[in-house]
Amino acid sequence: MNLALIPLLPLLTAFIPSLFRNRNLNAITAAAIAGTSMLLLLSQAPAVFNGQIPLSSWSWIPAIDLNLSFRVSGFGFMFAFLILGIGLLIVLYARYYIAEQDPMGRFYTYLLLFMGSMLGIVLSENLILLMMFWELTSISSFLLIGFWNYRSDAREGARMALVITGGGGLAMIAGFILLGNIVGSFELTTILAAKETVHAHHLYPLTLILILLGAFTKSAQFPFQFWLPHAMAAPTPVSAYLHSATMVKAGVFLLALLFPVLSGSALWFFIVTPIGLITLMFAAYMAMFKDDLKGLLAYSTVSHLGLITLLLGLGSPLAAFTAVFHILNHATFKAGLFMLAGIIDHETGTRDMKRLSGLWQYMPITGTLTMLGCAAMAGVPLFNGFLSKEMFLAETLGPNLFGSLSWIVPLGATLAAIFAVAYSIRMVHDVFFKEPAANLPKKPHEPPHGMRLPAEILMALCVLVGLFPMTMAAPMVNVAAGSILGAATPDYHIAIWHGLNMALALSVIALIGGSVFYLQRLRLFDSHLWCSRYCDGKMTFEAIVSGLVHGGRKTTRLMENGSLQRYIALLIGAVVVLGASPFIGSDAPFIGPLALSGVDPVTLIMGLVLIFSTVATAIHHRNRIVAIIMLGTVGLIVSLAFIRFSAPDLALTQISVEVVTIILLMMALHLLPRTTPAESSRGRRWRDIILSVAAGGGCTALMMGVLTRPYDTIAGYFLENSKPGGGGTNVVNVILVDFRGFDTLGEITVLVIAGLAIYALLHNFELKAPQTDALGHPWTEDRFPMILAQITRPLMPLALLFAVYIFLRGHNEPGGGFIAGLIVASVLILQYIANGIVWTRPRLNVDNHIIMAWGLVIAVLTGVGSWIVGYPFLTSSFTYLQWPLVGKFEVASAIAFDLGVFLAVVGSVMLVLVKLGSINSVDAQRVSTSVQKEKKDKEGAH
Amino acid sequence: MELLFSTCLGVMISCGVYLMLRGRTFPVILGLTLLGYAVNMFLFVSGRLQTNLPAVIAPDRLQYTDPLPQALVLTAIVIGFAMVAFVVVLALRASGELGSDHVDGRKENKS
Amino acid sequence: MNHLIVAPLLLPLLMGAIIVIGVNRSITLHRTLGLISSALITLITAVLLYQAINGPIQMYVLGDWNPPFGIIMVLDRLSAMMIFITSLLAFLCLLYAIKGTDEQGKNFHALFQFQLLGINGAFLTGDIFNLFVFFEVMLLSSYGLVLHGGGARRTKAGMHYVMLNLVGSSIFLVGVGVLYGLLGSLNMADMAVRLAHAPAENAALLQAGGLILFGVFALKAALLPLYFWLPNAYGFTSAPVAALFAVMTKVGVYVILRVYTLIFGDHAGVAANVLAPWLLPIALVTLVAGSIGVVASRDLRRTIAYMVVVSVGTLLAVIGTFTADAIAAAIVYLPHTTFMTAAMFLIADMLRQQRLDSGSELTPDRPVGQERVLGLLFLGAAVAIAGLPPLSGFTAKLMMLMGVQSHAAAPWIWSLILLGGLVGLIALGRAGSVIFWKTVPLDDTGLEAFSKKPHANIPRFGSACLVPVLMLLAISPLLVLFGGPLSDFGYAVAAQVSQPVHYIEAVLGSDAVAALLSAGGR
Repeated sequence: MNLALIPLLPLLTAFIPSLFRNRNLNAITAAAIAGTSMLLLLSQAPAVFNGQIPLSSWSWIPAIDLNLSFRVSGFGFMFAFLILGIGLLIVLYARYYIAEQDPMGRFYTYLLLFMGSMLGIVLSENLILLMMFWELTSISSFLLIGFWNYRSDAREGARMALVITGGGGLAMIAGFILLGNIVGSFELTTILAAKETVHAHHLYPLTLILILLGAFTKSAQFPFQFWLPHAMAAPTPVSAYLHSATMVKAGVFLLALLFPVLSGSALWFFIVTPIGLITLMFAAYMAMFKDDLKGLLAYSTVSHLGLITLLLGLGSPLAAFTAVFHILNHATFKAGLFMLAGIIDHETGTRDMKRLSGLWQYMPITGTLTMLGCAAMAGVPLFNGFLSKEMFLAETLGPNLFGSLSWIVPLGATLAAIFAVAYSIRMVHDVFFKEPAANLPKKPHEPPHGMRLPAEILMALCVLVGLFPMTMAAPMVNVAAGSILGAATPDYHIAIWHGLNMALALSVIALIGGSVFYLQRLRLFDSHLWCSRYCDGKMTFEAIVSGLVHGGRKTTRLMENGSLQRYIALLIGAVVVLGASPFIGSDAPFIGPLALSGVDPVTLIMGLVLIFSTVATAIHHRNRIVAIIMLGTVGLIVSLAFIRFSAPDLALTQISVEVVTIILLMMALHLLPRTTPAESSRGRRWRDIILSVAAGGGCTALMMGVLTRPYDTIAGYFLENSKPGGGGTNVVNVILVDFRGFDTLGEITVLVIAGLAIYALLHNFELKAPQTDALGHPWTEDRFPMILAQITRPLMPLALLFAVYIFLRGHNEPGGGFIAGLIVASVLILQYIANGIVWTRPRLNVDNHIIMAWGLVIAVLTGVGSWIVGYPFLTSSFTYLQWPLVGKFEVASAIAFDLGVFLAVVGSVMLVLVKLGSINSVDAQRVSTSVQKEKKDKEGAH
Repeated sequence: MELLFSTCLGVMISCGVYLMLRGRTFPVILGLTLLGYAVNMFLFVSGRLQTNLPAVIAPDRLQYTDPLPQALVLTAIVIGFAMVAFVVVLALRASGELGSDHVDGRKENKS
Repeated sequence: MNHLIVAPLLLPLLMGAIIVIGVNRSITLHRTLGLISSALITLITAVLLYQAINGPIQMYVLGDWNPPFGIIMVLDRLSAMMIFITSLLAFLCLLYAIKGTDEQGKNFHALFQFQLLGINGAFLTGDIFNLFVFFEVMLLSSYGLVLHGGGARRTKAGMHYVMLNLVGSSIFLVGVGVLYGLLGSLNMADMAVRLAHAPAENAALLQAGGLILFGVFALKAALLPLYFWLPNAYGFTSAPVAALFAVMTKVGVYVILRVYTLIFGDHAGVAANVLAPWLLPIALVTLVAGSIGVVASRDLRRTIAYMVVVSVGTLLAVIGTFTADAIAAAIVYLPHTTFMTAAMFLIADMLRQQRLDSGSELTPDRPVGQERVLGLLFLGAAVAIAGLPPLSGFTAKLMMLMGVQSHAAAPWIWSLILLGGLVGLIALGRAGSVIFWKTVPLDDTGLEAFSKKPHANIPRFGSACLVPVLMLLAISPLLVLFGGPLSDFGYAVAAQVSQPVHYIEAVLGSDAVAALLSAGGR
């Protein structure tokens, strides 16, 4: 449990510091949390130093082999110790560094989030778990870099870091999954033992490359190095913590962690070593020319990371040992140096070495500390940097690494070392000596002691390790390296003096050469100008991203031109292609076995008329009145066709729907332009014609195929059970209200929804109807022809009676609630047309919403009724009883259902048409006035 | 007979699709209605073409047409009607809001 | 018979009708009724989900007419999960909507209930024509909701959405016509059995029927080249509706999964696996196109809309491998992507209201009013959607990657899904930094054009608005925390889906299965 708590504690309690306003409380809580984690970690120390690896594991998501399992290997312990130790110093440092106006609580929250994720990385036993923490560090670093979010460089730096490291992380996910599958487990203990299996597997190269991508992006290795310098826009505590001591080390940590299983192949060597070498040299070179203190330190960090990568690439046990040692050393002096740079910035108001100079007289202590740090960075004897660097140089001299080109590595290493010395000297000399300071933003002075303390501790460590390596560092380095190398751990004696050997010679060369370089720097600066312009990957990155965006915009505009015509064409085209594809290369006969039935002249004529009027509709669509009339004809013939082919119900329905539809269209046309401008280009028309012919032809073909094939249907069942089971002889109607009553319920729901949606659309919406028709004639003043009015009023009761008849007979003969409903609706509408809204509205003063809703309710309740008798929803029951006049008549619960249908239809149709009739602004106000008038009359009556 | 029927249907669908592809709302509505008719016919004849065999049970009748497609088509007709009604109104609303009866609300007369 | 199964349909239907009856009553009444109904449905569907997890496949025979003759509702694990997701999402969206959105137009609550009816119906029904009917219920109410509130951009986008789907409905009927004309049945299970026995000379026609239907489903699910209506329709409609519609595309996904495993699965004889060669490539291209849209869009809401497209592409690419593991992974991913996109739509809406000058456009504006809480919400949603740990996007994505790795196209699926993730990361990183950080745009002279204060008179959101969003977001960590049980559930669903015999047996009994097997299907 303790194990899991070490990383989880900071993660789960990260929010606490931001609860307080008081800055000290912020810092204290943060420190307390980190401290607790530290104690938990130290409680593992005995076991670890006995060479054990404490484990703890809970199963979490087996499906993705994700277990909540942790391990404290020696290496992990060392890293965790670094993270927490430096973390604590940073907490103290930040307390003084973060300015009043900045939200300090939030800062510590982010910091703890990062601390927890980082601890998670180094203590995970499960690769997937490690992956999770890995990406978490990307997020928290994003937040920390962007802490001063009002600065554009901070924003850009943050986003760049997120994209590069996050992207690398994605590659790593793939790599990890592959690795896990090769080994058959995602637990490190198993994986680390499976070197042979992994190397033998054909996916090893891909796996390696993907994982390396993740590691290199995180550790800012060439060519991804550029994000790190830009991450320096972060507050200095962040730079010191994330971007020198810990997070950027995650990459090399991973390399070292998987060293036992991945290393040892030619591929490993030939990728990792060169990358390391290039990074080492390039960054060291760049560092010399940075005027920004933090820029210098950033590039120096990159180059040291390259150094570690190079060491791991070399692959020899001692090299790995050295890498571990250098990780430790670098973290110590670089974190300290960043803090000092921060102090200088904080107390002078600038980090620009062009402006800084001669600070020695103002801040001697800071100066001394800086000197110590730089000495360590430059690898001066008696400092910790010297030890690991000399071991490194010794390693680069290892027997022929690149065959005949082996000399490259030591040469590069030495050059880098020279650069390192040069920029270290510059950092001290430019800042603290030369002519006395002038026109600095602030009057420089020593910082408060609390701010300097962390740096003092770290520098003390540098010196102590440098002087007494065997006592101060060796134990931890040994156990750390031991956990990586196992039996192969070299029994190495870290010492300042190894006698006169090549490595020592190189160190000396570096020191002398570095000093020379520094003296000659002015010439170098000129030579460097070109590079400062071109050697920043940021440009490339930005170019790529913006290229991505603009390319994206182009493509999107290309695909989505916002033209419905194109979208519909695409839809039709897609379906035509899909539907046609099976016939390509299918040898089965297209026309089925059944013989075609003969054509009688009447039907033939009907067909020809249908074709004619259809085509006419299409051709004359721009003359809208004609088009509507033609369309009406089509509808008529369709209903005739239904009669012709034994579907009287359909015919009735079609007719009545036809009537209402046409009314609707006419009303709409009254408010729309009368004609359509010819606007389609020739090509467009041809495209459309081809497409429509394809669609039509396709359907004809499909139908021929279907009609000429036999099929056995479930229809027989309906015919048999309609009378005995459904109590009706009109099978179609019984299907509608009984067998498939649920469809009908849905259908009337659709009608009701249509009513609602349309009402909502037309609510508070007025449209000015044109005052003249297409030919420019004004409308007649006599809006409601007298004769029509006189006829329709008496007609109404008759029509209603007929509707009732249609409704009642529906169950046995063609008819039913729906048709009856439409009849009633059209009659009522006729009233409106004949007598006008002003006359009719007050006389039909019910809200159609309510009618149709009741229809729905009745239908549903009928269905629910069957529950009472223990049957499923919509089960119908029926009985026969003797009615006066009508005679023996069968009453089915379905009748009630049909009543619901009837009401829903009447209500929705009326709702739509009346609303539609009253949106013409002219009529609208006529109505409102008339209604008010009616009200007045009523009141007068009472 | 089947051929005649299928041809009519093909023509209706072609014209329907063609109208759907026009730029103004009104022809599009025409096209939708036409398409609706055609599709209903299509569904209808999936129960094959029968002459004088209405699916009304009578003692003396032995053969009936397949009533199921008819029931389906009835539902389809109603739903189709609801949809057309909605589109018509939507077209009005659009011409009011966009000041043009073009399906993309474009003012200028080019396509 | 378990009447609970039809409750998720009858309840919204009845409640919708009642709300309509009270059309002239106060909006408060409508709100209460709507909320009560949605809450009840959520509870009921939760119970149903529980039953489905632990019990066999259940069937509800409407009108007591046994299949294949009557219409049936089928509750298996998949449909149970879908209706639960829908109802929960709907409830939370409604909670947000009653803070004013519902007053921008008429009949919002009735339409909302009917919308729920349509979606749940589409998930539950076991009858292909009834599916059509519920599609229409769903679509017509969605038309109403998309256009709710009006406005030029909304109306235009809505019109495109409506017209396309109307064409889609016609195509649906053609497909059904072909299939009925050859198989003579509408019950999906029965169709499966009959299809298994279909003679070889009908092969092409049957496959055509199946693929024509796919055209319609692809339109609903928003696959390339049929998703172009989506960015505007979702981007410009009111936030709660857009959030609810996060589940609409999933209806398409569900139907594809259902129809092409149940009817056109391995056992389907001459039309077996008719979709297999199409789905995967189309889905992958959609994924790419969607990602392009994500980086390209200048407006947060449209960015999210494109992310819906990406998620559909991802889902169907994974499903397109038609292996049990992949389907299980898709089942785990589906709730995550639905709820998170929904949450993001709501967050985007709150941001839009607090950035008066630029709304949801990704241009610098004054600071957001409730910068702290909204920033936190945005960060959460962004992390989840971008598939970063510790939220559900990460685990779901991982499971999908592992689920498809045995498939031949795995390298493609892997690289595209991961790249899609990277693109999402870039886009959301940019969006977040512009909205929350780049809050002080400089004018040409390099001076601060605005003060660093938020706009005066912006709405501030109380808990009433924040709670639904928080609840939506809270789902993500839960999905991770209980990732174990969730993935087990995924496998359980996949077991049912990839072995349709269970479904068929539950509906038609063992004889039908025997008949199916005799036809040589698996």
